[in-house]
Amino acid sequence: MKIAAVPAPSSGPGASAPAAFKALSTAGRLARHGLHGLLALQAIRAALRLGFAATAAMAAGRLVMDAAVDPWLIAAALAFLAAACFAGFAADSVQASAENAVSTRLRTLAGERLSEMPARQLQSLSIGSLVVSMQRHPESIAALQVGHRAATAMMAAGPLLSALVLCFVSWQAALLIICLTPVMVLFFALIGNAIRRRADAQERAFGRLAGQFADRIRTLPTILANHAMAGEEAKLARRLEAYADKTMSVLRIAFANAGIIDFFASLSIALLAVFLGLGHLKLATIPGFSGLELWQSLFILMIAPEYFAPFRRFSEQYHAKAEGQAAAAALDRLLDAEPVAAKTLPALDRLRLTLPAHGLIAIVGPSGSGKSTLLRRLAGLESGAMPTPETHPLATGEIAWVSTDAYVPEGSLAEAISWNAGAVDRNRLEDVASAIGLLDDALLPGGLDARLDKGGANLSGGQRLRIAVARALLCGRAVLADEPTAKLDRNTAEAVRRMLVEISTTRLVVVATHDRDLSAAADTIVDLARGDAVEVAA
Amino acid sequence: MSAAFQPSSRKSWRLATGFAFAALACATLLGGVSAWLLGSVAIAGLSAAAFTFNFHIPAAFIRLFAIGRTAARYGERLTGHQAALADQLSRRVGFFAAMAAAPAVRRAGWQFGDDARLADYLDDVEDLDYARLRAGLPALTLACGLTVLIVGSAALAPLSLLPIGLLLLAILFMGNRVAKAGALALGQTRSLRRGGASRLGAAMASAVPLKAERAWSHECAEALAALSGADGELLALRRLQARLDMIGAVFGPVAGIGVMAAAWHAGRLGSELLLPMLLAFSWLALGEAVNGASRMLVAVLRRNAARAEVDQWTRGASRDRHVPTPRSFEPRMLLHGGLQRRAPDGRPIGALLALHLEKGRPTMLAGASGSGKTSLLKQIAGWIGEDGFAAGDRILSAAERRALAALVLHDAVILEDTVRANLFAGDVPDAALWRALEAVEMDSRIREAGGLDAWIRQDRFSLGEVQRINLARAWLSSRPLMLLDEPTEHLDDEQGQRILERLLAHLDDRIVVVSIHRAPPLRDVRTVELQP
Repeated sequence: MKIAAVPAPSSGPGASAPAAFKALSTAGRLARHGLHGLLALQAIRAALRLGFAATAAMAAGRLVMDAAVDPWLIAAALAFLAAACFAGFAADSVQASAENAVSTRLRTLAGERLSEMPARQLQSLSIGSLVVSMQRHPESIAALQVGHRAATAMMAAGPLLSALVLCFVSWQAALLIICLTPVMVLFFALIGNAIRRRADAQERAFGRLAGQFADRIRTLPTILANHAMAGEEAKLARRLEAYADKTMSVLRIAFANAGIIDFFASLSIALLAVFLGLGHLKLATIPGFSGLELWQSLFILMIAPEYFAPFRRFSEQYHAKAEGQAAAAALDRLLDAEPVAAKTLPALDRLRLTLPAHGLIAIVGPSGSGKSTLLRRLAGLESGAMPTPETHPLATGEIAWVSTDAYVPEGSLAEAISWNAGAVDRNRLEDVASAIGLLDDALLPGGLDARLDKGGANLSGGQRLRIAVARALLCGRAVLADEPTAKLDRNTAEAVRRMLVEISTTRLVVVATHDRDLSAAADTIVDLARGDAVEVAA
Repeated sequence: MSAAFQPSSRKSWRLATGFAFAALACATLLGGVSAWLLGSVAIAGLSAAAFTFNFHIPAAFIRLFAIGRTAARYGERLTGHQAALADQLSRRVGFFAAMAAAPAVRRAGWQFGDDARLADYLDDVEDLDYARLRAGLPALTLACGLTVLIVGSAALAPLSLLPIGLLLLAILFMGNRVAKAGALALGQTRSLRRGGASRLGAAMASAVPLKAERAWSHECAEALAALSGADGELLALRRLQARLDMIGAVFGPVAGIGVMAAAWHAGRLGSELLLPMLLAFSWLALGEAVNGASRMLVAVLRRNAARAEVDQWTRGASRDRHVPTPRSFEPRMLLHGGLQRRAPDGRPIGALLALHLEKGRPTMLAGASGSGKTSLLKQIAGWIGEDGFAAGDRILSAAERRALAALVLHDAVILEDTVRANLFAGDVPDAALWRALEAVEMDSRIREAGGLDAWIRQDRFSLGEVQRINLARAWLSSRPLMLLDEPTEHLDDEQGQRILERLLAHLDDRIVVVSIHRAPPLRDVRTVELQP
């Protein structure tokens, strides 16, 4: 009996691509709350440190000048110190928590994004880079959006606060260090440019050498198999050396950045100490630097480093910015990848067939004719025309999928088989595992308690497939099987066929197959090569 | 190799240490002497002594310290990195060689083919590379600075040793706690990360079945939760670090206050307090260096964890990497009367197998997926087990066969290098390389990529193309024992057959063993059916 194919209504193009992920701005939004708290704490810490500097300078100055020192001054200095340190502790904790919260949330959002992605697109992603990305990138992005941004903000707030406090003692001293700042920033900009130019040049000339160690570790078995060890070892040494040389030439400039901050911080102390000293000696009358009490000049001396400290903290974070931006770009690339277009398969669109509640349906046809695509459409993984099931749509999740890439969780063989199969009786498990030949497998000793490596790394495709078939038998759902007998030896293939036929007496089993013996056992054969016809076996 | 780099690194370390001491000394003295100067001039300014006060020498010293601190810091950073990079170079080359000599690399499933594992390994190696720069050097200078200032305090204001000692004890106590908890947290982080990564990798590899069964979201979320759990462990460590840093931040100022208070308590007044003030401000400056204590500690913890992890990959490395067999020895046949096949972990598989491998007549190992074809090839190649094969009147050991065999792995990869380097053919003329590429039908693809000296990477090629480059390596190999593992995998049937026939014809003067999933109809081959 032949059923003429009636054109099925073609479905529209797939859902339009979702809005871009924008890891950086998303993280920025997530970070906002924690960032405010962090900034407040850092500002409080800076203020308390200034308070300590003031009281400590006052006490020391008065002691040296033989003036009476109030005990409350010492107490206040200690109190300021303790409070500043505690505020520092709180700021560090809040920063750690905020970064953690942002990275965790970002990872969850990325996970949701992955869950929305169609299977075809997921398959097109490189597993390795996705795993690395999910593992590391949220953390780097969080560090940029919390720690680095706080350091940037404090670079403005910290020095201003110091200068303000300095004004109480000597506005001229405040002016002096404020005047040093633009000079410093100018140097910053100049050096920053030079670093960028040199780093770019290095990247162009030597970027290839950056990952050579990692690459040679990755490719080690290939190198050994080709007897290339001696040559590769010498080459690696040469390349690492060349790269180290070039790295040093970039560092020579990059460290100048930190050097400038050191220089201005040191210079400010030296300048202030000399000016203030001359003032005390009354050898020179410099407005704002003479006629001061000792405690006042000690205070100025203590504030100067505080003024430059935020710049130093910021410069220590220079790599956090580059790292975070690179991480955000990588994450965006992964999650905003162009949807992979499905191949057009007119044969599938012409197909019209009602799926029975039970029975074995074999989809046959040459490679590339759309067998797997049809299975995916049945599972609701891809949009497009597909046969209508008689009872209920398959895509509601009542499916057991059988293929060589079946999921195998970490644990014992018994756990792998009963995963996602509901409650299973141990005896029944044993019967099924034995019927499919999983228990007498020499490569997997230990029976049902055999340990499977993480991700089933110690399983062959055939073993995975048999686990999936056993699981399909136990779970009671409709079965979609993609090439269930390929890659199996004769006996095992026979066992798989028997089991699929057994399942099909009570449930719907759809197989995409090249296997003639399997299609011969089917109740219905859908031949995609013929395009216009479906054969139904007797 | 590594010995050649040793002297330069030692010299750099010595220089870096010198710079580090100079930098710390200048920094502490800059603060101390400036304060002392201000105090002195303030006292001198009260009397006629102002006119005789020698202002220029201390002022010159202050300028010297300021410039010295800047220059020494720069020098410390530069030479420190130079030393660390020199160490890195010799260490990495050493790791590479030791890993190659370790048995793990020849077993099944190279772990570092996996990006996540490789990235973790690189982190470990980097932790080793920079431990000395991040922890060793600063800890050494800090300890010396502390010693000098403690001695000074003992001389000038003995009573100040009480708060200093107490705080040092508190720092040591807290540091010890951080060290213990931190080692635990790092271990926990590692295992959570690894678990999450492999779970996510497994879920990604089974994306279609999981999506079909509506189990994807759950699995993915669980894997990501494990990764976030690892971050949570690190968060706990950072909180502990913050506590240590809090005590560290108190240290310098309290020491300074302690010195002043103790000196005052001892009855020193006015100008007698100038030296204690110098000391107190030096303590303040040194306190800045104590602030990095928690980072040094964590660098040490990371180094220890990394060392244990990295060593595991070089364990069992054999020292004798030179195999005695002369390359010129060409066995005509290899025999084994009853080979006990072994899985990569050494477990015996199946019944004894008689193998008769001879020149000019390829042996096809056929069998279903999981029947142990790759393992048998590795056993013949001498990568697994210690079997001897008879070759005429001599017995070839595993190590000797390793030297004679070209093992063409089915999961061979592309090195990030030129096409020429990827063919591993040494000084073979270009024409021969192109002939090999033509034979595997990759010549036009390589021409398109830029020719033999084009720089290539794995991710620019499809699996089929990688396989064909791999077969070109086999074509160019001159080893007498050629072992091809699934040479037609990832190729379409016709192309696979074409290339395999060409390759076998080219290799007709060698002993060839081919593992194959579905044996193609080939003339004059011996087929061995493997049963699991």
